[in-house]
Amino acid sequence: MQLFGQILVNGILLGGLYGLMGLGMGLVWGVLKIVNLAHGALIMLGGYALYYLYTKAGIDPFLGLPLAMLAMFVLGYLLQTALLNLIVRAAQLNTLLLTFGLDVVFVYLAQLLFTADFRTINPPYAGKNVSISGVVVPYAQFGAFLVALVLAGLLFLVLEKTRTGRAIRATAQNLTAARLYGVNPKRIYAITFGAGAALAGAAGGLYGIVSQITPYIGVTLTAKSFVIAILGGLDKPLGVIGGGLILGIAEAMAALYLDPTYTDIISFGLLVVVLIARPAQLLGRA
Amino acid sequence: MNRYRWLALPIAAAALAVVPWVTSDTIVQYGINALLVATLAQAWNVIGGFSGYPSFGNSVFYGLGTYGTAIAMAQFHWSFGSGLVFGAVLGVACALLFGIPILRLRGPYFAIATLGLAAVMSAITATVEIAGKNIGLILPLFRGDKLFYELSLILLVAATGTVAWIARSRFGAGLVAIREDEDAAQVMGINTTMYKVAALTVAALFSALAGGIHAYWITFIDPASAFDPSLNVRMVIMTLFGGPGTVLGPVLGAFVLSAVSEVLASQATGVASLFYGFVIVIAVLVMPKGLLDLVQGFRETGWRYFVDNLRRYRI
Amino acid sequence: MTEPLFEVRHLTKRFRGLIAVSDVTFRVAPREIVGLIGPNGAGKTTIISLISGTLVPSAGEILFEGRHIERLPAYRRARLGIGRTFQVMKPFPGLSVLENVTVGALFGTGGGERRRERAEEKALEWLEFTGLARRMDQPAEALGGPDRKRLEFAKALAMNPKLLLLDEVMAGLNSVEVDQVVELIKKVREKGVTILVIEHVMKAIRRLSDRLLVLHHGQQIAEGRTDEVLSDPRVVEAYLGKRRQ
Repeated sequence: MQLFGQILVNGILLGGLYGLMGLGMGLVWGVLKIVNLAHGALIMLGGYALYYLYTKAGIDPFLGLPLAMLAMFVLGYLLQTALLNLIVRAAQLNTLLLTFGLDVVFVYLAQLLFTADFRTINPPYAGKNVSISGVVVPYAQFGAFLVALVLAGLLFLVLEKTRTGRAIRATAQNLTAARLYGVNPKRIYAITFGAGAALAGAAGGLYGIVSQITPYIGVTLTAKSFVIAILGGLDKPLGVIGGGLILGIAEAMAALYLDPTYTDIISFGLLVVVLIARPAQLLGRA
Repeated sequence: MNRYRWLALPIAAAALAVVPWVTSDTIVQYGINALLVATLAQAWNVIGGFSGYPSFGNSVFYGLGTYGTAIAMAQFHWSFGSGLVFGAVLGVACALLFGIPILRLRGPYFAIATLGLAAVMSAITATVEIAGKNIGLILPLFRGDKLFYELSLILLVAATGTVAWIARSRFGAGLVAIREDEDAAQVMGINTTMYKVAALTVAALFSALAGGIHAYWITFIDPASAFDPSLNVRMVIMTLFGGPGTVLGPVLGAFVLSAVSEVLASQATGVASLFYGFVIVIAVLVMPKGLLDLVQGFRETGWRYFVDNLRRYRI
Repeated sequence: MTEPLFEVRHLTKRFRGLIAVSDVTFRVAPREIVGLIGPNGAGKTTIISLISGTLVPSAGEILFEGRHIERLPAYRRARLGIGRTFQVMKPFPGLSVLENVTVGALFGTGGGERRRERAEEKALEWLEFTGLARRMDQPAEALGGPDRKRLEFAKALAMNPKLLLLDEVMAGLNSVEVDQVVELIKKVREKGVTILVIEHVMKAIRRLSDRLLVLHHGQQIAEGRTDEVLSDPRVVEAYLGKRRQ
């Protein structure tokens, strides 16, 4: 029973981080209708950004996170303005391909600049943990979980309450109508993609604290972000966090009760089952 | 003029057939890879290019063909021919079984479902006993690159011939209608489910056969290489680069991109990837409808081709 | 009425709490032209979608040539001979005008033509009938409003339908164009096709329809001969609101 509780907590903590990964992908997908195959690479770059902020500039990771997010926002904004905005009205396959190309470029550049060595962000409190009725809760994982929730909450508030957020939601629903109301689509698109990149960067930074980063972590994380975003309903932040929790707990349970090699089968099996079983709900968002 | 165009294809095929006897072994090996990947691209063309259902999971059919042939030859000790058939049957069965539920999904949801399917298959093969688990399987050895080359060429010609037939047939018209507007297609009398499953099955057949030939050629297979996910994107990119929904586009795209990739790989490791990535990015921006369309469009309207595309597709 | 070509009984469609069509019953005889009118949002397009198979009814029956078709998928109904146009036009964008209409000829009533060449010949005939022949190689996307309507029309006609469902084919046309389309529709009826027309343009409805069916908020409020229905006070009220005293 103790073990179950521990695994559950592990799953929840991991799930929060997963949710954060899904947020950026879901936002860009839901609003811009772009399926970003480079999302995992953006996560990876965010991780490296935070890593170097910590090791070269000595900034505590949780404090450096906003800086890393800002850098990623700028990157995302530029990518959208210079590249994606040029083909965003073509068939969706084109943005799929473009982001795939970007992914390849980013991974190679990362390999070149950062080498393939495993890196971890290891602040002094990383190893510490607190024990609640026998369940071990590591500080780092818990901090990551909290940050994920806070960012999700912020995204939700921004989308619901601010002018820019409403402009984003309007553009998502009806581009033509939004234009008539004075929304500048180029800017909104760039801001949205930038936000998605910033969220990915945050997830990457946190991932670097609780796990290890290499230039190649992107691929699986992109795929998982798909699953999570779909489970959560794309651009609904609270739903996506929920999706992340589901995946996190499912993986933790699978690792415990089945073979660890089954975790991939679980993640993707879940994805396929969800897609097949609930097409009506999803088709409405196509 | 048209009659001469018909001759061009058999001549090209004949020219390709002669290659192994006039070049080095390395080129023959490169050729086999290029021919097989061109077949994969052509197979994808049927479900992705013509029908508009971009599958990122055709590697499943390729992998099933690979493993089917390998299991038949290594475990059951069947002949190559029977092994190929077995692999093809596995691929086709998978297409029929999963095709129906998955083809109900549209656009990116379909793409991701196929991705998921590919990942699941890969994971399953890594755990199943008869497939040799993670260690893989070893097939009987057969030396004879020239034979594998000709076999691969025949497969590519068959695949291209099938696509050429599809392009002019009632079946093909139905697929294209589904791609352009599936609701309208249904209302006009097309049984969209059946057509889509048929398209996927054709794609599965050729992909599986390519996998089977590849398995016997390299003699050793394991889940990672058989269900290699990078294959998926390569076949998609090559088709899109060359021109989806055309007869020769995938072949063109496959040959050009593999040549580029080979040349770069020999120059410096990793740089090939970088260049590949850039090529894709530029290609999507500059020729969103593929190389073939670019050549035609440029011939018709010159530089305005690019301006028109930009104006149509940007925000 | 002689044996009706098709019949709708107590047809109802609910969308998550909203009742779009409620208990509609009517019959259409062969070679009749029946007009379907009503204010916006009355459920007219929904009825057409229910008949063509794009939507599934929540309740009620649809009979075509005496057979129940409410459970048949759209493509089967097309093969039986039901063709429709879409209000929001749906040409196949990447294809030429000729190719668009050829699809109709390839897959229409009875499964359409088997051979592509034959289908193209038929398609060409329908293009000439609708006046689009000179545009046959242009991409469907490039067509302007009135020509797009003609294309929708030609696609549906190429299917050789027994029953043609027309959804607001006159919208946005000027007076001369409306007359042309009215003539076209009459010629189509002469070829033996039964037609159900949704229309807002009163002039056209008056000249075309043998009978009228009026919908309001999903319910059938009047049905009968054109002139009788149009002077029915309930119909007038539905369109114009209560008369102020």
